Amino acid sequence: MIDSALLIGGGVAAGIFGSLLGLGGGILIVPLLTLAFGLPLLTALGVSLVSVIVTSGASAGVYLERHVANLRLGMTLELFTATGALVGGLLAFLVEERVLEGLFAALLLYVAITMARRSDPPPAAVGTADEIPTESPGFRSALSGPGYRVKRLGFGAIGSVFAGVVSALLGVGGGLVKVPVMHVVMGVPLRVATATSNLMIGITASASAIIYLLNGRIDPYVAAPTAVGVFLGASIGSRVVHRIDLRILRGLFVAILLYTAWQMLQRALQ
Amino acid sequence: MTGDADQAPSVDLERSIARLLTIGTYGSVALLAIGVVVMLARGIAPLAGGPRFTPGLVVDDVAHLRPTGFIWLGLLAVIATPSARVVASLVGYVRRREREMVAVAVAILVVIALSVVLARGLEA
Repeated sequence: MIDSALLIGGGVAAGIFGSLLGLGGGILIVPLLTLAFGLPLLTALGVSLVSVIVTSGASAGVYLERHVANLRLGMTLELFTATGALVGGLLAFLVEERVLEGLFAALLLYVAITMARRSDPPPAAVGTADEIPTESPGFRSALSGPGYRVKRLGFGAIGSVFAGVVSALLGVGGGLVKVPVMHVVMGVPLRVATATSNLMIGITASASAIIYLLNGRIDPYVAAPTAVGVFLGASIGSRVVHRIDLRILRGLFVAILLYTAWQMLQRALQ
Repeated sequence: MTGDADQAPSVDLERSIARLLTIGTYGSVALLAIGVVVMLARGIAPLAGGPRFTPGLVVDDVAHLRPTGFIWLGLLAVIATPSARVVASLVGYVRRREREMVAVAVAILVVIALSVVLARGLEA
């Protein structure tokens, strides 16, 4: 009973934090389940993948309804993220757990540094609003949206494969890779890139979640309370985001990430 | 092919997909929440290690109101919702005769099918 309440509570906290700071819950769920609850990393990764699908599902619906997410672009890139996730999901069962823990520690450190350097408000869409040519036939222009034209689709595809591998190996949504690839490399406005990345999480994470599920790495008794908690937390977070001073929260989050990275690194080196 | 249909706003398709995602997500969370309630009612300790997913037992588990029945159904709904979204998109793009997007949607479904096949291979 107490463990169930703690799992739900932990999920709620991860959901709130993730939603307030624009991250999926995965970056917090994996350390929570491994370091606080002592679960094996692969089990934590499986549960985390399920949780990120749940949280992205509801918000992706809203982004589509408001026409912020670019469905064509998202589907085209998720073909590559799903392929990467398929490879990553298989790799996760072949590499040593401590290698994954080391990689996760590196990811935590990277996110902490990115968070610490992030300025408020987020940068305007730099170099995004390419003029749409008067003659724009072809598939690439079909992927473009109002006010921007998608560039460097090939690079986007390669970046998406990498995002999929990262997602499957580390149990995260992969927005940390997808958003910069779409925004900086492909010239997609930041808001659209964020929403489209969110839409892509579902297919990306489900490609690898299937592998985790069929190989017994999704524990139903851990997954259910955690996913419900994360869903509730993300819903709460999206409602209170405008009332909270994110600078203080970000500082706290950076400290938590650094501490967690250290713990995860120690686990990898044991 | 990216003809006139491509230029027209795909409002209806996006709205249908958005609705599908919302219903799929809330439905799966509801199933998971029922599973948690039954789990709590039966005093199951979550960290003791749950059973492995066995597709053949899901219906029986639901029929006997076991928590795993609801939880597996919820988890399957979670994992299937994104693929359902791709199927819905596929139907929409077939109607709009957008050949490239039809090909993309089919290719995504092939990757998902491949992950099931390869996961079973890994399991064996």
